[in-house]
Amino acid sequence: MHSNRYTLFFVFIITVVLGTLLSVTKENLKLKQEDNLRADVNKTILRSLDFSEEEDNPWSNEKVEEIFNNSIVGLCVDSEGNKIDNVVLEEIDIEKDIERLPVYLKVIDDELQGVALPVAGKGLWSTLFGYIALGPDLDTVLGIQFYKHGETPGLGGEVEKEWFTNNFVGKKIRNVEGEIIGIKVLKGKVDDSKEDAIHQVDGISGATVTSNGVTIFLKDDLKRYEAYLNEIRENGII
Amino acid sequence: MELFSTESKKIVTDPLNVNNPISLQVLGICSALAVTIRVDQAIIMTFAVIFVLCSSNVAISLLKDHIPSRVRIVIMLAIIAGLVSFVDEVLKAYLYDMSKQLSVFVGLIVTNCIIMGRAEAFAIKHGPSKAFLDGLGNGLGYGMMIILVSFFRELFGAGTITLPNGGAGYVLFSIERDVEWLINAGYENIGLLVLSPGAFFILGLVIWVQREIAGLEEEE
Repeated sequence: MHSNRYTLFFVFIITVVLGTLLSVTKENLKLKQEDNLRADVNKTILRSLDFSEEEDNPWSNEKVEEIFNNSIVGLCVDSEGNKIDNVVLEEIDIEKDIERLPVYLKVIDDELQGVALPVAGKGLWSTLFGYIALGPDLDTVLGIQFYKHGETPGLGGEVEKEWFTNNFVGKKIRNVEGEIIGIKVLKGKVDDSKEDAIHQVDGISGATVTSNGVTIFLKDDLKRYEAYLNEIRENGII
Repeated sequence: MELFSTESKKIVTDPLNVNNPISLQVLGICSALAVTIRVDQAIIMTFAVIFVLCSSNVAISLLKDHIPSRVRIVIMLAIIAGLVSFVDEVLKAYLYDMSKQLSVFVGLIVTNCIIMGRAEAFAIKHGPSKAFLDGLGNGLGYGMMIILVSFFRELFGAGTITLPNGGAGYVLFSIERDVEWLINAGYENIGLLVLSPGAFFILGLVIWVQREIAGLEEEE
């Protein structure tokens, strides 16, 4: 039987050794991990804006950056629709910062092809982060993609799956009066014969809380951009 | 001890066959259910588990004479958790998409009963080279089982076979793409297999077949 002193000493040494090893590893890999994270967010933006990678040839981090730099213009606006200069978009806290709103424009040959807006909000367990993209009419959804969430795999986690995100494509976020009403995630299937079907998508069975969360934060976040979106509608890109 | 003696060979091959950690020791079932949805995930998970299992076995075996027996479980857990965090960080840096899909499950290797089980049952009583072989054998035995289960789950559940490739995976075979006539004939995937209960069915069948082949019978 070892003495108490020895036991404490041994535990202390093990802790220090393991702690040192882990922090050295983390420090060395940090840059690479941050690169991956940034590329992943940019990839989400590209996917929402209807860029698609070939199945056999997934994008590398460099490829994502190349496409991003060539066709995406990022800018920051406030809730009144005015442009704010000199802001590093990556540093904006998408969930909490409601005064600085990032916007990503897909511009090809000087023509606006889509607008990607960040959306974030609570699901059941976690905050979901994603991008919703609107077509040039600023009403039709071009795509929606989530890049971070902690929902249950197979239930709320289905938000990142194609079957769910594909449902959003072609839906409208504005009502007849032109007011932004968002997209409602239903409980169950959309009844296409109903008039509202164009503002609704199929829900995820077993994940009502996540579905409701998505409905609520989509509407809230899109509302914040209303002033800016109306501005582009009237005056073109500012 | 000779590295290639009959005894060391037995340490490696036993867990592959008559003493498989999953099908006979019935250890590590939890992760066998979670990561067997796709073959590529199962393969990456196998490498991660083999790495953690071998290194934790060797580390614990090297320290076996110094570890105070009153706190041995805590020490084992600390070593295993440290190694798992290491694997997790490496995956995040070099196989980002894969680490996104495996995220929680890699962390859960810490609680994988095989690793703690082998540390307590074998590594703490044997020398480092034997402990390493035991880790390798059990890791391979675990991997063999989860890859087998994931093969059936992915093939019949999702209709594809995906191999690891950078992260998104390379689709080696897809019923929809490669066997069109089957789809035209009305073939549909078995959705149940993608869910966790599907893994139980497959695992149950595998255990049955293996016991039948090995001629094992339940002890009365």
